[in-house]
Amino acid sequence: MKSIKLALIGLLLVAGSSFSLRAADLHFIMCGGEVREADQTVVDAFIANNPGVNVNIEAVPWGTCQDKSLTLAAAGDPPSISYMGSRTLRQLANNDLIVPAKISSDLMEAYQPGILNTVTVKGTHWGYPRAFSTKALFINCDLAEQAGVACEAPTNWDELYDMAKAINDNTDAAGFGLVGKDFDNTMHQFLVWLYSNGGQVIDLQTGANMLDSQSTRETLALYEKLVGVAQEGPTAFERSQVKDLYNDGQVGMYVEGPWGRGVHNEGMNEIVVPIPAGPSGESGTLLITDSIAVFKGSGHEDIAHKLATALTSGESQYALDTPDGGWGLTPIFDYEKLGISDPYYKGDDYWAVFINGIGAGGPEPLVEDFKIMQSVFVNMIQGILLGDDTVDNLVSIAGEEFDELL
Amino acid sequence: MIEKKSKLDFYPYFLLAPSLIFILVIVAWPLIETFRLSLTDARLGGESYVGFENYQELLEKKKFHRVITRTFFWMFLSVGLKILLGLAGATLLNAKVPGRALFRVLVMPPWVIPIAIGCIGWLWLYNSHFGLLSGIAQRIGLIDGPFGFLAYKKPAFYSAIVTDVWVGTPMVTIFFLAAMQGVSRDLYEAAWVDGAGRWHRFRRITIPQIMPVIVTMSLLSMIWTFNSFEIIWILTEGGPRGATTTLIVDTYKTAIGNWKFGEGAARAVIIVALLGIFSFFYYSLIKKLNKFEERK
Amino acid sequence: MDKYSKVELVLIYSGIAIFLTFILLPFFEMFMTSLRPLDHLFRAPYQFWSDDFSFEAYHKMWETVPLLGRYIWNSIYISSMVTLLTMILIIPAAYAFARLDFPLKNATLSMFLGVNMFTGAVLLIPLYRVLRTLGLLNTYWAMIIPGVAFLIPTGIWLLKPYFEKIPRELEEAAFVDGAGRLYMLGRIILPLSIPGLIVVGVAVFIGAYAQQFLFAITFNQTREYQPLPAGLYEFIGYQTVTWNEMMAAALVGVLPVMFVFLFLQKYLVAGLTAGAVKD
Repeated sequence: MKSIKLALIGLLLVAGSSFSLRAADLHFIMCGGEVREADQTVVDAFIANNPGVNVNIEAVPWGTCQDKSLTLAAAGDPPSISYMGSRTLRQLANNDLIVPAKISSDLMEAYQPGILNTVTVKGTHWGYPRAFSTKALFINCDLAEQAGVACEAPTNWDELYDMAKAINDNTDAAGFGLVGKDFDNTMHQFLVWLYSNGGQVIDLQTGANMLDSQSTRETLALYEKLVGVAQEGPTAFERSQVKDLYNDGQVGMYVEGPWGRGVHNEGMNEIVVPIPAGPSGESGTLLITDSIAVFKGSGHEDIAHKLATALTSGESQYALDTPDGGWGLTPIFDYEKLGISDPYYKGDDYWAVFINGIGAGGPEPLVEDFKIMQSVFVNMIQGILLGDDTVDNLVSIAGEEFDELL
Repeated sequence: MIEKKSKLDFYPYFLLAPSLIFILVIVAWPLIETFRLSLTDARLGGESYVGFENYQELLEKKKFHRVITRTFFWMFLSVGLKILLGLAGATLLNAKVPGRALFRVLVMPPWVIPIAIGCIGWLWLYNSHFGLLSGIAQRIGLIDGPFGFLAYKKPAFYSAIVTDVWVGTPMVTIFFLAAMQGVSRDLYEAAWVDGAGRWHRFRRITIPQIMPVIVTMSLLSMIWTFNSFEIIWILTEGGPRGATTTLIVDTYKTAIGNWKFGEGAARAVIIVALLGIFSFFYYSLIKKLNKFEERK
Repeated sequence: MDKYSKVELVLIYSGIAIFLTFILLPFFEMFMTSLRPLDHLFRAPYQFWSDDFSFEAYHKMWETVPLLGRYIWNSIYISSMVTLLTMILIIPAAYAFARLDFPLKNATLSMFLGVNMFTGAVLLIPLYRVLRTLGLLNTYWAMIIPGVAFLIPTGIWLLKPYFEKIPRELEEAAFVDGAGRLYMLGRIILPLSIPGLIVVGVAVFIGAYAQQFLFAITFNQTREYQPLPAGLYEFIGYQTVTWNEMMAAALVGVLPVMFVFLFLQKYLVAGLTAGAVKD
């Protein structure tokens, strides 16, 4: 009897000390062909600390992972947490499919400026930022030298164009690698330039539609000029294809994320420079994040929140950001604030380029119908790439179409 | 006689039942459900009844009208080419030349492989910088620099047509070939004896004899081509700027891309309606032509 | 009548050559791509041959996508199951339409034809719900059932003429001899219609193999059950696509079907002829 009593007391103690009494089976959908070791480590530790909890990490290929989560949710069988592009958060939130994220104020302080904007709708955080990237301009110095121009950062759009034109005219390669395919990256690249020209899409304070503006017109006009010095048929190109051209020395420069160094050919003589400022603004960049979203209706949301937090903070997050075994991304936190000394980007000029622009950068606009928003932008961009219409008309039309999304 | 109706009341239905049940559950029910959805504004989060609003919106948009005309143009052009190429191919393969067995087998691959895989092959061929077509054209001096087949509106459309024709031609060819081989030799011999040349024999004997097959394959092909989705989706996803967006692409983009099930369903219903009306007219036309032929 | 002049022979062979070039061009390109090393995959201007061609992709692809063999097997399995199930369902139905008269015959025949009018793409969402209700999502059945449903109409329609061709006298004689209905179907009709059965079976198999993609990506999320076309997606990584391996995988995946086809092609063309597709 005594031993049974002790066992029961012991059980109660253990139960009391853990956060939740319920056993739970968590379903974690992660993008990528295989489960990351670092993720598995966090999950194993989590399971150890939370008895009765089991976590099934499902690694879904990049092409289909987001859709899978959405399909499951639409079918009434949501995952517990899932890796989603932050652009989807508003649609998920509006359709009551996810629950707001619970980010501690310490962590909030440590995030790079603007990160939380990418997951915030009307003051509420809807996701745990998981992967972050900014963009910069890569220039092939060999081609620049061949063209007879100095391989250095253009400081404004005119210099950018001149450099591209020189490469285009004096070498076999095209000057600038322009993307125009119906992909999210096409819109992203446009935003990179827009944000470097003092432009906005949605006013972060008022939520008003700011798309139809002088800044936007200037940016589209830049595209109009660049078509003349870009590779053939930009509307069939998305970023990874432009990267291939760049690697093959067919294009002098293009906009890419921090993984650029890793995917360019060894021995590529290149420099990375901030996006040059347009006539109406300062050099900025686009802040894109992917998040971990906690789905509603899984029955164990509180545990899910804990897991999401565990994955996206401190060491675990660092393991993802670092190029050494991770993905090599722009750091999502100011890691020194989290107590990690000598982070991978410290003192490295390469990373400086990607980090310095964060303050002036803008987020991807968070709207419910993000696919339609993408269509609005792509339509406008392709319009000028194909010479279908004038800059003024295209921007006006885009502005009106965007209105319907707000 | 075998069929004594009073004794066999249930037997035919018994034979049909499995297939019927299958179709009813898997096709008829979703069809009804699609129609019901088209009367709502169903989205990812929920739905509510909106009557014919979806249809009204669609029929008012000029963009949608263009999608419809584009779809019909796509269908007629692609099917026309398939039938012509099918006839040409079948005639060639029907010729009694050495090696014909091998050639017939070699015609099969586009039909046999999953469409998605063939389309990826074409995607590569059309690539402006690294594709074979652009590369060869440059080599032989046809064009100055690389050419993006899928980057411009008209070229993208016609490139998609070429791929669609490529996918559909083998099946048409083989069916035509089989039909041609079923034509009685006596007919040809009689004509030959009378001094008729090859072209004459083809026009006056072959074509009329296989006409039923031509008619049926045309209709089948038209229906499949109208709904041809994977080819366009893999090559261009409906771009650039909607140049290759046919009804089925538009429907998919709306329903799965934008998660607007109600609006997508409305488009789906319109597809079915259009095809139904079209088939009806097609059959009436054929019947009229047949009657005309008989009277001659 | 059958002798061709030299000129005609040249024309015929050139015609065939052009026709086959058009048909086989993408395969040529896919094969070439599979031979190129990844970092030289993208090289302009286009080169037909180069020194660093190798069959390496054919080895590496098994590592990059570990379940590749499984995917190929899945494709074959799913297509076979679809064919089997479809044949079982359509044989009695085609026989009924070919031989028997009953009320609503024309209506049901037209209805079956009508199903051809829309593809699965049109009915995806409701179909998803039906499958979910039946509890069949994320199983092999999720891909087999829709495949069968959409092939039934074409199958019935293709098989009917073969049954019609069988002389009624045979059936009448057997009937007079006291043969039961099932006996008639099993022992007399079926053996006589074997060419037709083969032809339709092959056509159904090909149809099933070709349409799996859409159903697989929408109704099935379980990796282990995916057929090849969906599995090829796994060659797409976070930032790069291993094209050469993807092409190699695609070609290898198609080989089994081609073999089956080569083996049966004799029957196929003969069967199509015997079937008198003039309806």
